[in-house]
Order: sequence, then C-alpha cells, then structure tokens
Amino acid sequence: MPEGVEETFVEAVRAAHPDFIESVEVLRPRRVSLVGKREEFLGLAKALKDEFGFTHPVSAGAVDYLKENRMRMNYYLMNPSSRFMLILGIDLPRDDLTLPSMTQVWEAMSFHERETREMFGISFEDHPNPISLLLPPDWKGGYPLRKDFEGEETQP
Amino acid sequence: MNDLLTIWKALFTYTIAPLEISGKLIAGLFNSFTSALWSLPGWLLRFFWFNFKPLMQVLLLPGLAFILLFAIIVVWFERKFLARAMLKVGPYYCGKRSGWLQLIADFLKLFLKEIIIPYDAHKILFLLMPVMLPTIPALAVILIPFDQNWVLFNAGSLSLPMFIAIAGLAPLIPIFSGWAANNKYTIIGSFRTAYLYISAEIPLVICAAATAIMAGSFNLVEIVEAQANLWFAVPQFIGFVIFFLGLIIESERTPFDIPTAEVELVMGWRTEFSGILFGFTMMAEYVGFLAWSLLFITLYLGGFNGPNVLGLPLYSHVFWLLLKLAVLVPIVIIIRGIFPRLRMDQMLRLGWYYLTPLAVLNLFIVLTLKLLGVFP
Amino acid sequence: MSEPKIEPDLMRVSWGPQHPMSGQTRILLDIDGEIVHRLTADLGFTHRGIEKILENRTFLQGIIPIERMVMVDTANIGLGYVLAIEEALGVEPPERADWIRSMICEFYRINSHLYAFGLQVEATAYFPAVFLWTTIDREIILDLQEQLTGARWSYNFFMPGGVHADIPEGFQDKVLEGVEYLRGRFKQYWGAMVENAIFEMRNEGVAVLRKEDAIRLGATGPVLRGSGVDMDVRKDDPYAAYGDLDFKVVTEAEGDAMARLKVRFHEIEQSLDIIEQVANEIPGGPVRTRIPLFLRIKPTEVLSRVETARGELGIHMFTDGGMNPYRVQINSPSLRNMYVFERLAELDEILLADVPVVINSIDPWYLDSDR
Repeated sequence: MPEGVEETFVEAVRAAHPDFIESVEVLRPRRVSLVGKREEFLGLAKALKDEFGFTHPVSAGAVDYLKENRMRMNYYLMNPSSRFMLILGIDLPRDDLTLPSMTQVWEAMSFHERETREMFGISFEDHPNPISLLLPPDWKGGYPLRKDFEGEETQP
Repeated sequence: MNDLLTIWKALFTYTIAPLEISGKLIAGLFNSFTSALWSLPGWLLRFFWFNFKPLMQVLLLPGLAFILLFAIIVVWFERKFLARAMLKVGPYYCGKRSGWLQLIADFLKLFLKEIIIPYDAHKILFLLMPVMLPTIPALAVILIPFDQNWVLFNAGSLSLPMFIAIAGLAPLIPIFSGWAANNKYTIIGSFRTAYLYISAEIPLVICAAATAIMAGSFNLVEIVEAQANLWFAVPQFIGFVIFFLGLIIESERTPFDIPTAEVELVMGWRTEFSGILFGFTMMAEYVGFLAWSLLFITLYLGGFNGPNVLGLPLYSHVFWLLLKLAVLVPIVIIIRGIFPRLRMDQMLRLGWYYLTPLAVLNLFIVLTLKLLGVFP
Repeated sequence: MSEPKIEPDLMRVSWGPQHPMSGQTRILLDIDGEIVHRLTADLGFTHRGIEKILENRTFLQGIIPIERMVMVDTANIGLGYVLAIEEALGVEPPERADWIRSMICEFYRINSHLYAFGLQVEATAYFPAVFLWTTIDREIILDLQEQLTGARWSYNFFMPGGVHADIPEGFQDKVLEGVEYLRGRFKQYWGAMVENAIFEMRNEGVAVLRKEDAIRLGATGPVLRGSGVDMDVRKDDPYAAYGDLDFKVVTEAEGDAMARLKVRFHEIEQSLDIIEQVANEIPGGPVRTRIPLFLRIKPTEVLSRVETARGELGIHMFTDGGMNPYRVQINSPSLRNMYVFERLAELDEILLADVPVVINSIDPWYLDSDR
C-alpha cells in the first residue's frame, strides 16, 4: 500500500463534506477514525458508502462517558477494495440519546443497533425491528452497560 | 392227600399266582413304558407335526418366533456390524464382548419405561397406532412361501396382490400417529411419509407385476417355481435394481429415512412415543424390512429354490431361503454406513423421474420377452 | 424476544433449544411444507455480559473471561485481547514469542475447523461417527498443546509482552509428526466424505451467497471467503508473525455450502503449512518482555483485529488510567454471520432439510455471538 493514502483520504473527506465532520484522525496504516456531527449524520454515512466505497459493515458499539455526560456511538466499516478500516463515531448527549438508524445505509447494522439499544438506551429512529436481541423480552432492570447501572445480586 | 393238593392249589391260585401275574403285568408295563420312552420324541414329533402342522408353522416358522427373532437378531447384528464400519465397537458390556444381552436389556428397559401421552393428543389413535404398526408387515410375511406347501396363508392366485395391498396400508400408520401426537415435528414427519410412500410404491408395483407376467401367475408359489431354471434377476435386471431400492425405501432405512430424520425432526413421527410404544415402532421397521426382503427374494432371487441339501427337499428349501435372506440383510445394512440421507425433493425426483420410467421400461422388456416366447 | 408475526398459511416451527442439532439457540422457521420462507434467530440464550465483566477485572484478569467466548478457538480470541493491551501499553513482544503465538493460533484454527467439519457432515446424517473421528483427530492437537502450555484448551498462555514459557525439548519433532498424521487423515476425509455422491447432492447449490450479498450483509470468515472475497486479517493487517510467514488466503467462487466446506478444508492445509514453517524456522531469543505487575494504562483507545476460525474479531479497548479497562467493545464474528443466516431465506430457496446443513456451513458459535 503506498504511503500517504490515509492522508489523501482524510483530505478528500474533509474537502467533500467539511460541515459534517468534527474530527479526523489517522490511527494506523489503513485505519482512520472519523467523528461526525449530529446534523446530517445520515448524509455523511450515505456519502461514505456511495462515494468512498465503505460498503462492508463490520460492527457497531457504544461507549458511555458518564463524567463528561455524553455517549459515543461507534460504527466500524471496511472498504473491501482498498482494505481501509474506518471507525465512524458520533457524540450524543446523555439526555438526548436519539440517532437516525444506520440500517438505511448498511443493512447489517440491524443486530448491532438492537444490542446497543438494549444495553445503553440509545434509540434509533427508523429501525426496522427494534426488539431486544440478547436480553429477555421482559427485562426491566435498566440498561446494563451504562456506567451507573446497578446490578441485582443473585440469591446465594 | 387230594385235600392238601386242593388247599395248595387254592393257596397258589389266590395268593401267589395273583402276585406272579401282577408281577408279570408290572414288569410288562415297565418294559413297554421304557420302550415307549425311547421312541417318544420321534413319535411326539410325528404326532405334533402331522396333526398340528399349521400351529407349529404359525408359532415357529415363518410365524411369531421367526419374526421376533429376526427383529432382535438383526438389531444386534446391525449395531455390531455397522459399528465396525464406523470404527466403533457396538454393544460391548452386556454379554461378554458380543453384547447379545444388550438386546434383552434394551427390551426390558423399553417395557419398564413410562408411557407419556402428550397434552391434547388424540389418545385412542396415539395408543393404537404403534400396536398396529408391526402387525401389518407381519401379516404380509405370512403370504411368503417357504416351500411348495409351506405357506401360512395360501391365497392362491391372490397372494401377490394381497401382499401389495397389505403393504399399502403401512404408510397410513405413520400418518395417523404423527397427527395424533399434536406436535409440529411429528406432523412434518407424517407429510414426509406420505410423499415418500407415494413416490416409491408405483415403481414397486409395476416391477412386481412384471415378474408376475413373466411367471404367468400371481401365485407366489408358482412365481418361485417358474424361477427353477433362471432367477428373474437376470432378464429383469432393471426391475431387480428398482426393487432393491424400493426395498430400502419402503422399510425407511437410510439413505431414505427422511420421515424420521433426527437432525431435523427429532425422530419425526416417532418423536412422542416412549416406552413400549417406541419399542413397537422400532420393531416395525425391522418387520417391514423382513417382509419386503422376503418378497424381493421370492420375486427376483428364486425364492426357496436351490439344490437339495442332505437329500431333504423340505428342509433344504427353507435353508436356501434363509441363506438368501442372510446374504441380503448385511448388504442393506452396510448401505446405511456409506451414504448420507437424501433430501425430500431429491427423493421425489428419484422416484418420479428415474424409477417410474425405468419400471415401465422393465415392463415393456418383459412383455417383449414374453411375446417372443423366450419365457413361456 | 417478542416474535414477529406469522404470515397466514405458514407454520412456525421452533428449532429450539431442545433440539438435537440446534446448538444453544432458538431459530424460528416459518415453513410451508418443506420450503422455509423466513428465518428468525432468537439469540441471547448464553448471554453472560462479558463486556461488563471485563470492565470489572484488571487487564490480566480479563484474559480468562474473554477466552470463554469460543471454546474450540480460545487462542485467537485471547490473542486479540492481549494484542490490544500491548498496543495500549506500547510494548512489543520479542520475535520468538510472535512465532509461538502464530503456531498456537494455527493449531486452534485446525481444531475449530475440524469441529465444524464434523458437524456439517453429521448434519447430512452421514452417520454420527464422523464427528467422533474428527474429535479423535483433535486429540492429537490437544496433546501437543498440553505439552506446550500445560492445559488442553483454555490456557492463558499469552501474556502482554510475550508468552508464558518456551517450547520444550523435542517438541518440534512431535509437531512435525502430528502434522504428517493430520495430512494423511485429510486425504481420507476428502475421499470418503467430500467426494461422496449423496454428500455432494446435499451440499452443492444449497444456500448460495453471492459476492455482492456477502459484502453488503457483512459476512466474515469462511462465509465471506467461500463467496469469492479474499479478505483475511492475517494478510490485510498482519499481527503476530503472519507478516513473515508464507501462506495463501483460500477462496472459492460458488458461495454454496460445499464451497464454505472446501474453504475450511483448504484452510486446514494452509495452517498445517504454517505450523511446519514455524517448527522449522523459528528464531531464537527470549519469549517475554517484562511488564509491570499492576498495570495501569494511560487514557487511550485501541482497536485490535485478529482472524479467528469463524471470522474477524475486533477488540476496541478504551482505557482511563485505572487498573481495569474502561470499556471493551467486542466485535464478534458469529453475530455478523447470524445476520447473513437470517437473510439467506430471502436470497436463496432453503428447504427444511437444508437448515442444519446451512447452519453448520455458516458455523456460528452462539457463545460468541451472545458474548
């Protein structure tokens, strides 16, 4: 892989959509981390898929920053022709955890978004099947992977 | 002096003589008793055989004892034989490395287990169907001739159609029992049974009819006698192969045991049976196998024909039939260890695209040979 | 989970937890006779909350729970976690440790593929003894692992900084013997099973996944490579010693169940080649660099990717300066493949008799997808 490809990509993305991006960072060869703004996140995602070729969805997950009162939702994407890995992030304030669902762009994010919804409480708009994936259907204990989750002790 | 002689004669006549006579009587009875004792087995055999021959046949051969022993021995044989093909050992602990006591152990276990009837199942059908299941092929076995006069039920020229008719009742039982158990897996097994039997019976019946045409009669005894010079397997080779496949399909053995596929259907229509009901379904598979194997041997492999052994025509015919059975059974068993299971649509394609046209072709060959006068 | 509605005229069969071939999951089949119209996977039977557990364990203690994700493939998963810690710390293991790590990972790849192969053959009802034969062959591998690491499957042999111990004396000869034996066995398996006429009938043309669909739906591992896409983390993003080793990425073009089986087969052969190379050419040197006993890692985020037998595993670790990781996001390969499995009913016609074959050709491990 020739050197500097990541920088070319970063510049191209910055040039194409300067308003949608909050920060770009090159982590390693062929791995870039991109944080987008909340407005037009869907547009950014569609552009990444159609123009830049990130058609292979890998995974999605979230991180809870309790002290900074925000949550970060990460989408992991892959470009199959250039083997580029992109970590697409978005910051959400903890009192407004809504996000347009990325299943409109990459269908396979369905399972990962379902899991994030039940573990963190982030609600995804226009998700085709927003039922719980791993937890039982009658789970009332809260959102397990949040930092302020209090688990119940099992009876000895 | 005469008085003394009279008294002596009287004493002799009334005391010693009776003793002597009775002694002779007792000795004579004892002699005849011992001589009768040594000749008793032969006498007994002749007595029972020629007076109660049908009863003996029904009880021993080819009736109840034969069928049950076949089912038990073939189960043991299959477990050991197939295990060696799979590099395993088979039953090993009950019965000193041959595992023959394992069968008795399994049979006792099945008897002693609780019979569980599912909730909302149709109780009468659920309990009745497994009981009927082995009896239907057993009814078919009684039509097979073991010798010219050794047929349990000599239906004359109706014996072959009657066999086919009784065997046609066999698929009804899995269908009813799968529905009666009120379970989705069993009903799928019932559907598959219906598909399987429909696609397999038609080629079988056509091939059986072809053998009857070649022999000139529907009577199984006459079909066997017509094979005295040449087995029907040789001119009707296509029918031979089709009937062999049909034999495996009708007894629901791998590679055609689609209705009871464990990896998909948890034993298919047999899922909900437990205890002795399950024992009946297992036994029924082997009794069906016996019935169709005997028919196969009768129609294509010359039935009980064979050179005389030790100059006993009666018993040598039985011997040859059992020998042919003993050669056929391991071949069918080893097929189970070689091939995976077919899928339902592949089975239907086999039955309708390949077996049925080939059976009709076989029929035409037979008709041609008959018209040309090769086989009078 | 509240189930989706059944359409009229379809029967819903629960390929449920109590089933001989279902594994630890429930799959709902909506069938019409033999044709499956819809597949719905009901995951979560084995959800243990490993991501939350890892937040409450120190870095070194966390190696143990994460190895329990896939039992037949623990080396690759443990390696993913250890690589993340090493990258966060900034520690490079010595070269000999890298080569040992590659060898153990390849052993585990063979282990897992043998297991999957036995299950797929058993799914076509080709007598269950085949699964026992592959289990016997796995014993060779487990014996070798035991000599090297002391345990048969989960052995926590990888440490941040290297491996626990060096290769014992005479181990290389035993490895080469084992490799020869396994090569002979695979010839037998290929001839007896893969070239069996009815086995081919059951597997060819079943559940064809085309290349575009495989990429679009996020398939990974042998499922992706069986559809003609040659993505393999060992070549794209080399870790351990894979940059120095010589092996090929195996792909097949058809995308049916037979292609996925052949990919696994040939991957086993490639793994055997790699093990031979390691046994013959391993460099000398130490096997471990020291790390502090009480690890604290400064706030950073690290993503490490490894190629497990089932696909690409990603571990995204967030640290905050404490003794425990702040968050560990595990990108599990089986979860991605389960989505592909759900969509297969729409892409290609699947019959009820094909369902076990399809499940085992995709080879999900439900403890991996549920975490």
